[in-house]
Amino acid sequence: MTMSEDVVDVLIVGAGASGAAAAWSLSDTGMRIVCLEQGGRVDPGDYPTNSANWESRAFGSFAIDPNVRGLETDYPINNDDSECAAVNWNGVGGSTILYGAHFPRLHPSDFKVKTLDGVADDWPIDYATLEPYFVENDRIMGVSGLAGDPMCPPKQPPLPPLAMGLVGETVARGYNKLGWHWWPSDSAIISEPYDGRDRCLNLGPCMSGCSQGGKSSTDITYWPRAVKRGVELRTRCRVREIAVDDEGMAKGVHYYDENGDEQFQRAEIVIMACNGIGTPRLLLNSKSSRFPDGLANRSGLVGKNLMFHAFGIVQGLFHERLDSHKGPQACCILSKQFYETDLSRGFVRGYNMQISRGTGPLSTAMAGFMTGLIPWGKDHHDAFEKRFDHVAAIGIVGEDLPEEHNRVTLDPELVDSDGIPAPKITYKYGENSLKMIEHGLARGEEVIRAAGAYEVASGGPLRPTGWHLLGTARMGSDPERSVVNHWGRSHDVKNLFIIDGSIFVTSGGVNPASTIQACALYIADSIKKNLSDLFD
Amino acid sequence: MSNESVLGALLDTLVPASEDGRMPSASEVGFDAFLVTQGEAVAPALQAILAQLGDDFATLSAEARHEKVTELSASEPALFAGLLAQVYDCYYQDDRVRSAIGVVQGPVFPQGNEVARGNLTMLDPVIENCDQYRYREP
Ligand SMILES: Cc1cc2nc3c(=O)[nH]c(=O)nc-3n(C[C@H](O)[C@H](O)[C@H](O)COP(=O)(O)OP(=O)(O)OC[C@H]3O[C@@H](n4cnc5c(N)ncnc54)[C@H](O)[C@@H]3O)c2cc1C
Ligand code: SF4
Repeated sequence: MTMSEDVVDVLIVGAGASGAAAAWSLSDTGMRIVCLEQGGRVDPGDYPTNSANWESRAFGSFAIDPNVRGLETDYPINNDDSECAAVNWNGVGGSTILYGAHFPRLHPSDFKVKTLDGVADDWPIDYATLEPYFVENDRIMGVSGLAGDPMCPPKQPPLPPLAMGLVGETVARGYNKLGWHWWPSDSAIISEPYDGRDRCLNLGPCMSGCSQGGKSSTDITYWPRAVKRGVELRTRCRVREIAVDDEGMAKGVHYYDENGDEQFQRAEIVIMACNGIGTPRLLLNSKSSRFPDGLANRSGLVGKNLMFHAFGIVQGLFHERLDSHKGPQACCILSKQFYETDLSRGFVRGYNMQISRGTGPLSTAMAGFMTGLIPWGKDHHDAFEKRFDHVAAIGIVGEDLPEEHNRVTLDPELVDSDGIPAPKITYKYGENSLKMIEHGLARGEEVIRAAGAYEVASGGPLRPTGWHLLGTARMGSDPERSVVNHWGRSHDVKNLFIIDGSIFVTSGGVNPASTIQACALYIADSIKKNLSDLFD
Repeated sequence: MSNESVLGALLDTLVPASEDGRMPSASEVGFDAFLVTQGEAVAPALQAILAQLGDDFATLSAEARHEKVTELSASEPALFAGLLAQVYDCYYQDDRVRSAIGVVQGPVFPQGNEVARGNLTMLDPVIENCDQYRYREP
């Protein structure tokens, strides 16, 4: 092992959505900042859309499931005891490399669920605290949307909304018929040239990476700015554990470099940004005599309260061609009609309805084979023609409440390519989530029929939908009931901060990346404001 | 009968040409060349399938072939699904097929697609009803 006497001021672990935002924010302090990232940089020329077989490549080395990709830079995840399979991307940009870039914010009510609905816990911060950071994040990332949505606090996205297309218009007609809310989605995809990047070309398969650079992943938004301001980003460096000194302060991290050689990097401040699975995994793997149950885990809550969001989908088939495979798949319009609690529905909290576009020809044909709706043989062409580009879909993204039995632990056997224990997920959908999804699927069917669909299929919660990894090192003011305080500092280790999705107290009913990044900017700003007495 | 003719007959059975001549058969889209790009894992599975179909498969009527492939799909579901995925992957990359179904030929980048912007006046009812849709202030 190489022991470095070199002490950096700030060491960030993980270069994804949150790590990138914090690195950029802290970089104006003049402090020496290093970020260690286990994966590499993706060359946009390597994304599947550069080749004719873009669809099948999206199921291989760019698959959303790390167990399918099995790259050396990935770590395996044991999902055997989980009703939902966790997915991610490991590399510069983190999961924003593959995300759909649907970019709504949590609502003000999401921070106060205990007060409003008597469930889970309130966050120790509120929407107003995060508001300036949402705005700053939208500006740096490049977000398209339309001001004036009555279902959100006022905001002005920096770019006009993405094209709704025939899918958006058709489904919107259904919402209007029923008198339900809908609005063009806030999307971290640029509808016009912005900040040296060219606009989205409507390729479609954003969830296998964007060759055009139209999608705002942090490798092309925050990272170039942070690196220009002096942040050192070391790729192919996989952290194994965080070491502590005799006073119980973090003194640095042990990591493996690209050659598999063990290194030690000392630091004054350690910031964890490995996401809701990677961060508890590392904390649980950082055991010492002072912290026998893992670092920052005196509450026993590290790894617990894992939340994914329950996800269901409704698909409608239309007589008219909707050009469904064109345009960003996950970003079109959304509805918050059933977002806020209404107890008459039989559950608390709510969900957002995310209208998405259709799939490419290969996915359509294979899905048709598996459902029996598009046979092989002489009837193939007719059935294919009826379905391909004639589909609109509504995703139901339901709030998942925290439950301690849903958790991340260390697998006793499974390890990654450096021999570090892999995470094991234990997860079951709660009764509230199941009722919510049932309600959402029924409402989705109603609206898609109102829009004119002549055939409707729905299902959920679906298994390979663990996109949102939240809650496993929650924020709070009580050290017995939370892992970090209201500005992300560990209750137990005063120079250890957590800024990724782990710190979410509750999940809200929307995709989380925008709120994760706003939290990361807010914590970075709090560190800057408290530099003189940071460890008191 | 050669392996090639059994394979050709199988491809014709899985995706025959359309009667109007617009869509080619899967045997006309260069599946051999495609296979070469798929690595070594595919060949043994394909050989196993061809062996099960037997040498006389290519001489059977279209109905008899369909029946035989249906039997195979039931007795070897994983093998069959794997093969079908390869056939569709190759088929839906073909330029003729793509232009017939309205998909850009070759890599989708940097050609991209045109998408209608959509009519934002459709939001008028939502804006008019905005009191009904207010988010909840804690
Ligand atoms: C397919 C897909 C679609 C999605 N769609 C959306 C969407 O439309 N909208 C939305 O809001 N969200 C979406 N998400 C979720 C969103 O991408 C994540 O919530 C967000 O990126 C999480 O940010 P993070 O900083 O917590 O972690 P990540 O962005 O996941 O970054 C974590 C980083 O830490 C690194 N790391 C982990 N362990 C180690 C280690 N031991 N050593 C060094 N580095 C390490 C990882 O390699 C990774 O780069 C999607 C995710 C996926 C996978
Ligand atoms: S649709 Fe737009 S954002 Fe998505 S991959 Fe294509 S260019 Fe990128």
